Amino acid sequence: MLQSFCIWLYGSGMGTAIRESIWIFPIIETVHVLGIALLAGTVSLLDLRLLGITLKSQSVEQVARQVLPLTWAGFGVMLVSGFLLFSAEAADSYGNIPFRIKLVLMGLAGLNALVFHRNPVTPLRARLAGGCSITLWAGVICAGRAIAYVSK
Amino acid sequence: MSLLFLFNWLGRSWLGAWMQKSSYAFEAAEMFHLLALAGLGGGVLIINLRVLGLGLKSETARRLMKELVPYLTGCLVVMICSGVMLVAAEPEKCYYNTAFRVKMPLLLCAVGFSVFVQRRFLEWRVLAVISLLLWAGVGLAGRAIGVI
Repeated sequence: MLQSFCIWLYGSGMGTAIRESIWIFPIIETVHVLGIALLAGTVSLLDLRLLGITLKSQSVEQVARQVLPLTWAGFGVMLVSGFLLFSAEAADSYGNIPFRIKLVLMGLAGLNALVFHRNPVTPLRARLAGGCSITLWAGVICAGRAIAYVSK
Repeated sequence: MSLLFLFNWLGRSWLGAWMQKSSYAFEAAEMFHLLALAGLGGGVLIINLRVLGLGLKSETARRLMKELVPYLTGCLVVMICSGVMLVAAEPEKCYYNTAFRVKMPLLLCAVGFSVFVQRRFLEWRVLAVISLLLWAGVGLAGRAIGVI
């Protein structure tokens, strides 16, 4: 089911156009790489605040309320550019192990954020959530980089 | 001493030898380069957006910068160390790479601008825009090294 979707997307006009153009793929890739700063860079500042390492003059709530809109903007950029890159390589991505690991880590990062927001904040829980989040997002970045190493 | 000599010396050093021989060192250095990019880019964004009136507005730009400087410095050190490792793996390729030749002066400009100019006139919005453009240029040129 998932595999047939990947093959369909790969063969679609959009996937083919991105794959066959010399410039479109690297341009989207550049957006995807620089978008890391907006997504992971901003969320890691919140994580470091949760860990009590930086921005200590601000409360966790203040940092979260003001930084998370930027993180969500980054998520939008990454999701769109990531989907476009995926469409050009979908048939290969399906079996690509780092790609699968990346998706799982992203799911776990989302789950971590959800659990944190749903439960009362205690200092220990805040540190745990911050530590998990920054580790998971670092894993997402590394796995994302590894996608290209494996598919070569 | 020419720059090419320096690049070749780096390639022949123990670091270069290790980077070229190892089956994982280049990949690992690239990952660290990307991770530090997230940290440095995120911090630069947060400070400049604050100057432009977006994001962390409950903190003054000056204090925000003061609090983030150790973090930004740490990320920059990781970027430079991993960057030197990447150059040591492919010194000649980098030396003759147009994107690399654009990136290095841009990087010097971005760091110099942030440390010597922007720090003194932090509230000037136009400087925040220039800073964002300089750093984006460094990132763009950096990505282009691997494409061209």
